[in-house]
Amino acid sequence: MKRFLARQVAQLMVGLFGAALFAVALSAVTEPRPRSLPAYLLAVLDRLTHLSHGDLGHSAISGLPVVAELFQHLPPTLLLLAAGAAVALAAGLPIGILFAFGSLRRAAAPIMQIVTATPVFCAGLALAFGASEILHWPVGLASRTGLAASPEEALRLAALPIATVGLAGAAAVQLALRRAATRTAAASFRGGLKRLGLSSVEIEAFYVLPQIFAGLIASAGEIALALVSAAVVAEWVFHRDGAADLFVKSVALADWNMTAVILFAVAALTIVASFLGRVLGFLLVREQMP
Amino acid sequence: MSRNTPVLGNVLRGVGWFGLALLLITMFLSDFLAHAPAGAEFPGIELSAPSEVHPFGTDMLGRDVLSETLHGLAETGRLAMWAAFFAIVLGGLFGAVAARLPRPLALALRGLFGILGAIPPLLLAIVIVGLTGHFFVAVAAGIGAAPLGFVRAFDRVDLHSPHADYAIATGIPGLSLLQRDLTYDFRHVLGAVVARALAAVTIIVSTASFLGFGAEPPARDLGLIIAAAKINHFTAWWTAIFPGLALILFILCARLAAGLEEGESA
Repeated sequence: MKRFLARQVAQLMVGLFGAALFAVALSAVTEPRPRSLPAYLLAVLDRLTHLSHGDLGHSAISGLPVVAELFQHLPPTLLLLAAGAAVALAAGLPIGILFAFGSLRRAAAPIMQIVTATPVFCAGLALAFGASEILHWPVGLASRTGLAASPEEALRLAALPIATVGLAGAAAVQLALRRAATRTAAASFRGGLKRLGLSSVEIEAFYVLPQIFAGLIASAGEIALALVSAAVVAEWVFHRDGAADLFVKSVALADWNMTAVILFAVAALTIVASFLGRVLGFLLVREQMP
Repeated sequence: MSRNTPVLGNVLRGVGWFGLALLLITMFLSDFLAHAPAGAEFPGIELSAPSEVHPFGTDMLGRDVLSETLHGLAETGRLAMWAAFFAIVLGGLFGAVAARLPRPLALALRGLFGILGAIPPLLLAIVIVGLTGHFFVAVAAGIGAAPLGFVRAFDRVDLHSPHADYAIATGIPGLSLLQRDLTYDFRHVLGAVVARALAAVTIIVSTASFLGFGAEPPARDLGLIIAAAKINHFTAWWTAIFPGLALILFILCARLAAGLEEGESA
């Protein structure tokens, strides 16, 4: 157990350090761009020196320090990710568990292929169309919508991006669940437990389900990747002011300082989610999940 | 191999390859099948609903949506095939080779690609397009998808198999062994690997285009066509739905052809 934890912590530290180096290397591509490798390496060194003094640079668009800009835009995105994750679990868990067992698992495979073949932006536009035409909600895709007049309207405006992110997350959750279920379907402990006299229900409830949930938790990094990708698209489609939307604008306007900081935040989120998922999954079943 | 019943799995894979073949033929013949050349505008019939003359209707500039969808499908397919090539070479193939390199170098590469794999492929592709330009969107999508393919291929290599010891004991040169290993690794799964890569990169390419980091006019792929239809798809649904369905069909066929295992993403 100690060895496993030490290895995970080492992986976490190396991952975060590598992501920070990648971000520094990206932020050194400023305008005017360094024309040669030595010039670029000098720019990287300069960035590292500034970083050691706690200076992460300024945004080329707003002129504000990138950290201040990030803290201004990050909360709406984190809120969107958290709400999306809640929807993903609420929708993905029942679907995943329902399709995780026996014949339903085999029958569901082709259906899930069709669902997961839909790009997130197509799903977002379809949701917007449904909300506008069927529910008659005020959906603004052409331009930025102003402040909501009432809490009810604010909820409606927030619902579509959350649903888009949540659906993408739900697809990732049910994939992780079904993968774990497939792994346990052939597990050798089933036969042994049956010979010990346990019923099928007892085996599923007390031995298989914890394995499946541990598999889901261990896939936290993969689910975080799906949620972040979907948040980028959802914020763009529904004109939400968040870090993901800021990322797209920063790349388009070659604001590499800002891009690098957001990219580091995203990578750190995924790396930490992977770490926590692997550790919690291990603690749940006392074995390392693949 | 899918864990569906073998018959159903084979049928689904066959349907996927048949669909991909039909779509590829459609892409190659897009100039011949389309009513109008790419980008041709017909003033006076902007946003007209589907009719006999324009089966998929027209868009806000009076372009025939059927023709634009066919041209867009061809452009998406062209970009996706290049991107899949880069994803396979830099991901799966390089991962399988890297696992057989001297251990410290192999582990360093595994760590580097593991870190890149913590960044969503779409974001990585967008950054590369931002650095290199729209012309390189296919390369960017391939590189974006490569880290996950690299990690998967690297982790699948079993260096502790007794076969490895026997092979080394025969004294065959390392490069010949590598060639033999790669042939064994890819011989039976090459089709599935190509289809899997196509499914993954098509989503990245079209989403990058939708966000403005992909194809540039006058060449319009399906992502860009859907992005242009976004502002009026509530009133003129046909401008977005047909290109959207074509895109989903292409990705679905690639996924089915890949024969993804249960719970496996492309």
